[in-house]
Amino acid sequence: MATVNRDTYVAIFLLLFCGVFIDATFDIREPDYGVLMPSTWPRVILAVMTVLSMIYLIQSLKAGPSNPDCSTERSPGFVGFFVYWRNPIICFVMFFFFLWSLPFLGMLIGGVSFVFLLMCMLGGWQPRQLAVHALVAVFAVGGMWSLFTFGLEVMLPEGRIYNPYAS
Amino acid sequence: MIEYLLDAFLNFSLAFEGLWTWETMSLMALGVAAGLIAGAIPGFTIAMAVVLTLPFTFSMPPEQGVATMVSVMVGGLSGGLMAGILTGIPGTPSSVATTFDGFPMARAGRPGLALGLGVWSSFFGGIFSAICLMTLAPQLARVGLEFQPWDFFMLVIFALTITASLAGKNLIKGLIAGALGLLIRTIGEDEAVGMPRFNFGTEVLLAGFDFIAVLIGLFAFSQLLSDVRDPALARKSLSQQGTVKVRIDHIGALREIAHRWVVVIRSATIGVFTGILPGAGGSVANILAYDQAKKASRTPDEFGNGASEGIIAPESSNNAVEGGALITLIGLGIPGDVTAAVMLGALLIHDVVPSPSFISDEPVLVYSIFTAFFIATFMMIFLQSFMLKFFVQITKIRMYMLASVILGFCGIGVFALNNVTFDLWSLLWFGILGFLMRQFGFPLAPMILGVVLGNIAELNLARALAITPELTPFFSRPWALFFLIIAIFSAAFPLFQAHRGKKIWTLLYMPFACFAVSTPLVMMGGVTRPMIACTIVGYGIWTLFKRWQSDWELERVEAKKPRYTEG
Repeated sequence: MATVNRDTYVAIFLLLFCGVFIDATFDIREPDYGVLMPSTWPRVILAVMTVLSMIYLIQSLKAGPSNPDCSTERSPGFVGFFVYWRNPIICFVMFFFFLWSLPFLGMLIGGVSFVFLLMCMLGGWQPRQLAVHALVAVFAVGGMWSLFTFGLEVMLPEGRIYNPYAS
Repeated sequence: MIEYLLDAFLNFSLAFEGLWTWETMSLMALGVAAGLIAGAIPGFTIAMAVVLTLPFTFSMPPEQGVATMVSVMVGGLSGGLMAGILTGIPGTPSSVATTFDGFPMARAGRPGLALGLGVWSSFFGGIFSAICLMTLAPQLARVGLEFQPWDFFMLVIFALTITASLAGKNLIKGLIAGALGLLIRTIGEDEAVGMPRFNFGTEVLLAGFDFIAVLIGLFAFSQLLSDVRDPALARKSLSQQGTVKVRIDHIGALREIAHRWVVVIRSATIGVFTGILPGAGGSVANILAYDQAKKASRTPDEFGNGASEGIIAPESSNNAVEGGALITLIGLGIPGDVTAAVMLGALLIHDVVPSPSFISDEPVLVYSIFTAFFIATFMMIFLQSFMLKFFVQITKIRMYMLASVILGFCGIGVFALNNVTFDLWSLLWFGILGFLMRQFGFPLAPMILGVVLGNIAELNLARALAITPELTPFFSRPWALFFLIIAIFSAAFPLFQAHRGKKIWTLLYMPFACFAVSTPLVMMGGVTRPMIACTIVGYGIWTLFKRWQSDWELERVEAKKPRYTEG
């Protein structure tokens, strides 16, 4: 797999990205007033970005294949990838579930659950840790929720679990 | 002149009167304390601390909100030294150089003196910077009033180019990041004629991405994920790295600084000018100041083994940086770095749009920023000793716990921006994007500045083309040409650095830069600017003459220290 530099993949992705966005600029409606058309500025940026991405691609191809032994300390394969990036992946997935469950659980219950579960997944599930994580989650998120709800009077999502009529 | 001084005094009194309330002073003290702690925790940057403070300031009057954020910023600038000196791990990228001598001095049994030197150098650097902010920002705003849309457009291009060029050998990546930031800002209805762009048929994208949600995602969210990447380090607490029980030696430090006041002034000047330069923050200034202090020292061999100048220089410079960054924000409406970009966001939330007329339109608010900078610097001195005890407690907390709680806080804070769940999704997607960009070596600062400055560039381009469809003013107006020339030379700077000492053409870079920059200065007319241009041309000719005298001998280049550009 180490036939090309990883920057090459990024450069190709960027070129594809530019292509999609250049195509999307043709969907922008052009009004018959104004001097600078709404699509002009994005097209200028995309033209510059395409040229830069091509230079980046050429640079990455010139640099040759990356050496997998010295690029990272992770083991090869899918398992190695998951082990190396385990914590960020957990954070992304947990935050995704937090947002997905927000309309149902609301900010308080959802936030406390998110912080508690994230701490347990990153730090461990020992009984003492569970107690510490629960306390930290309740006091930190609860405190912040109270500050925003009562102190700053921000309407944070209640969640249908608490209020069935909540949006 | 007298009228100007009277105006300044009146505005200063009004601003002081507005801030001198129990509520504002308490919030500022809390802000400085929070900044000190945030700055002391490795991985938690000052920009992150200021970003997280932003949602709390929504319900405050603009003066109070901005004063609180300035306090967090000042606290954060000084907090980094605690971790750096006591544990050897810099709290923020802007205190990296402090650890070079601070940690050895602490290990040699003088941690109190090391902390004292850091604290008082930060104080004097901050005061110097506040004075520069108060005196230079109004002058820069006067110059800014000469700017027309073509000049503003070129100023934004210059800001992005120089920020990207600071990425060193990753110039292309820096430029791509800047362009991506500009592109992100175009999503949603365009500000000139209100047509939807890149919404891909969805309604949620019509309003575009909230700039603060993007900022928190790109910067704070992605930083937290990078901090917990290593499972072993994520479970470690900071107190396992070194000793943290100490008392600050104020008297000894003041005595030492009094002997080395030249180092303070020189380093603070470096800090202010690095701050004025868009994109070059404290992370660059502290290394530059350390390097200069070492070169100027009579005992350069002591550097790295606990030299007091090695602490004074980086700490004076990094505290002076934000004053510099605020000069361009207040004078021109262009943020000098990520932290200033967040400050710009805070002002925009309060319907205040910084521009060259900002000082004349909102004098009390501007002087509140100046005053808050001063007061927060004094508060920092008193709170530093007290917060040292808190820092000891904080160091016992494990990294993964801090990251989890702060991710939760980010969620609540971002929702509070507009009470829209879409902002939280933006936070997640931009968090992922920021994390990937960090992993692939793309600098985030140009992208953040691209997001912040995108609409300024587009609006000024639209205004310029509305005045005349001709493109020549972009190259023929003195200020536009000035920014274009320095943008080109700053873009070529990484190439110059890479080939310096190896290729003959590098000997011509500086003289040619001088000749090129002097052209628009002469075009500006008047007396002062052509005189400055003549001086610059004279310097260019002298450099060329010296090189010709030395038979075009290539310069000797010293081995460089690692660069720290993010933060």
